[in-house]
Amino acid sequence: MSGRMPRLLIVDDERHVRESLSHWFTEDGYDTVTAGGGREALELLGRRDVDVIVSDIKMPGMDGLELQHRILERNPHVAIILVTAYASVATAVQALKEGAYDYMVKPFDPEQLSQVVARAYEKVKLSTENETLKERLSAAEPPFVTGTSRAMAKVMELVDMVAPTDTSVLIRGESGTGKELIARLIHLRSQRAYGPVVAVNCGALSESLLESELFGHEKGAFTGASSRRTGKIELADGGTLFLDEVGEVTPKVQVELLRALEERTITRVGGNQEIPVNFRLVTATNRDLEAAIRDGDFRDDLFFRINVFTITIPPLRERREDILPIAEHFLRRFGAAMGRPIRGFSAEAKDLILDYAWPGNVRELANAVERALVVCRGEEVGAEHLPIAAHAHAVDPGLVGDYSIAALEAQHIDKVLRVHDYNVTQAAKALGIDRVTLYNKMRKYGIERP
Amino acid sequence: MELVPGGAVPPAVVRELRRDLALCLDRRVLIADEVLALDAAFSPERQQYRADVILAALLEGLDGADDRRRMAVVAEDLFLPVFTHIFGSAQFRGLAAVVSTFRLTPTWSDQPADPKVLRLRLLKEALHELGHTLGLVHCKVPWCVMSPSLDPDHVDLKDPAFCAPCAEAGGIPRDRTFLFL
Repeated sequence: MSGRMPRLLIVDDERHVRESLSHWFTEDGYDTVTAGGGREALELLGRRDVDVIVSDIKMPGMDGLELQHRILERNPHVAIILVTAYASVATAVQALKEGAYDYMVKPFDPEQLSQVVARAYEKVKLSTENETLKERLSAAEPPFVTGTSRAMAKVMELVDMVAPTDTSVLIRGESGTGKELIARLIHLRSQRAYGPVVAVNCGALSESLLESELFGHEKGAFTGASSRRTGKIELADGGTLFLDEVGEVTPKVQVELLRALEERTITRVGGNQEIPVNFRLVTATNRDLEAAIRDGDFRDDLFFRINVFTITIPPLRERREDILPIAEHFLRRFGAAMGRPIRGFSAEAKDLILDYAWPGNVRELANAVERALVVCRGEEVGAEHLPIAAHAHAVDPGLVGDYSIAALEAQHIDKVLRVHDYNVTQAAKALGIDRVTLYNKMRKYGIERP
Repeated sequence: MELVPGGAVPPAVVRELRRDLALCLDRRVLIADEVLALDAAFSPERQQYRADVILAALLEGLDGADDRRRMAVVAEDLFLPVFTHIFGSAQFRGLAAVVSTFRLTPTWSDQPADPKVLRLRLLKEALHELGHTLGLVHCKVPWCVMSPSLDPDHVDLKDPAFCAPCAEAGGIPRDRTFLFL
């Protein structure tokens, strides 16, 4: 936000007021736009963002209070200063109660007005910077540890090699191996580290939702598009765009993505303006993209674009020396978070952890340790506390009590998911339904990946 | 550049301003023959004069080929309908500007009468409005003449000079303003 001019919108039905204020604030270094009424102001805000709004209260049609209400609904960060020619304590109180930054009476003392607008801008700047900082902090905290095995050392070497460049990176690996963590590490070690990192899970959204999520949409682009929305690609400007489960992107969105990568511009859904974009692309998949290309499910030209540099994260079972250190790391971390003084794992628990295949990889291991901590009452986590035993020897519980179709469906989905190690793509295929439907059903029945 | 006396401004004030501006800017500054009538700008309700009307009157006197800047110098209290008062106003990146001695006169803010104080304040405000006609916006350097001043004390705090970035952006000679420092 630093460096650019503060953006100001002046809303007043009197032309000379708009002109005087616009003139005044242009000289003050503001990027100023004006609107003659509430409706015009909302239209304008649909096309561009502003930091501070100075609006008259008494206007024909939509008045200042209604305008304020509608703007704050959409953008709570903008500061609104309401003005009126008629001083009334009741209106001032109402304006402030409903979220106005300040309230002023015309004609203004120029010094006072300049100070109020400058302070309002400072507040907007601070709250926006706070948001960015919060996002960056949450992005900086790695959700998983990676391990110290030779295989992971190689992965980290590749991360360090590719991070400072602007090359597109494809991260491959089974579910739960920490692909998103590696994507965030690449961002943090890149020259774009001070820019945003924006993640999109392509597998969890239907085609039209993904399209609007990535490219944004204009107001009225489709039923329900009641306001303009900025897409994730635009939000990633100056930073990194992370597309998880990129193998699930439908052919139509693949073409649009390819165009965005080649032309470095995007067009919002329902819009016709080309918007220049500047992002580094990092993608991840657990799917065999080469096979998908052979089957005609994935475009080879897009594959060549995203697969400039590949990092493959080995599954946990192929780097067994990492299992115990990672489990102990989680034990310390969750123990501290729960305020539990845990000494460590018992010998049996360690054997069990090392013997298990961990099909859900690091994510499954983290969940197992967290659950064990909840169950464990002593200072040492034993084999009996780990959910692995029950899981590894899980048998079909059959129908117990509930004979509804829904119960049967839930059990069947759970079973098929387990057979496919909770790989949603493969499970959906086996079930003969699409991924989105499977995700919805999992949510409905409360089935979670381990 | 041409100074246009307006209303009841004393001729000596305009002459001094011409000399000071010419020295600062190292260019010829003229004084218009006619005195600008301010009747059309007067607001009986507020007992003040509308700056935007004065700017429009200045522009009327220019033909299309004339790219001379015209600055009205008046003794009357200026306002814009949305503001209680202003010291001066200018057409941003334009040819017309107006400055008023009304609130710059030390006696207005209960200070002892001192013609030297008014002369220096008026020069600073004239340079400031001229800067706006050259496309300069308000400057954050406190001593720069383009820093905003909303009361006479603020005007006293700045120099009758442009800081280096403002001087460069406005194409204004900078090394001559030391004459006043």
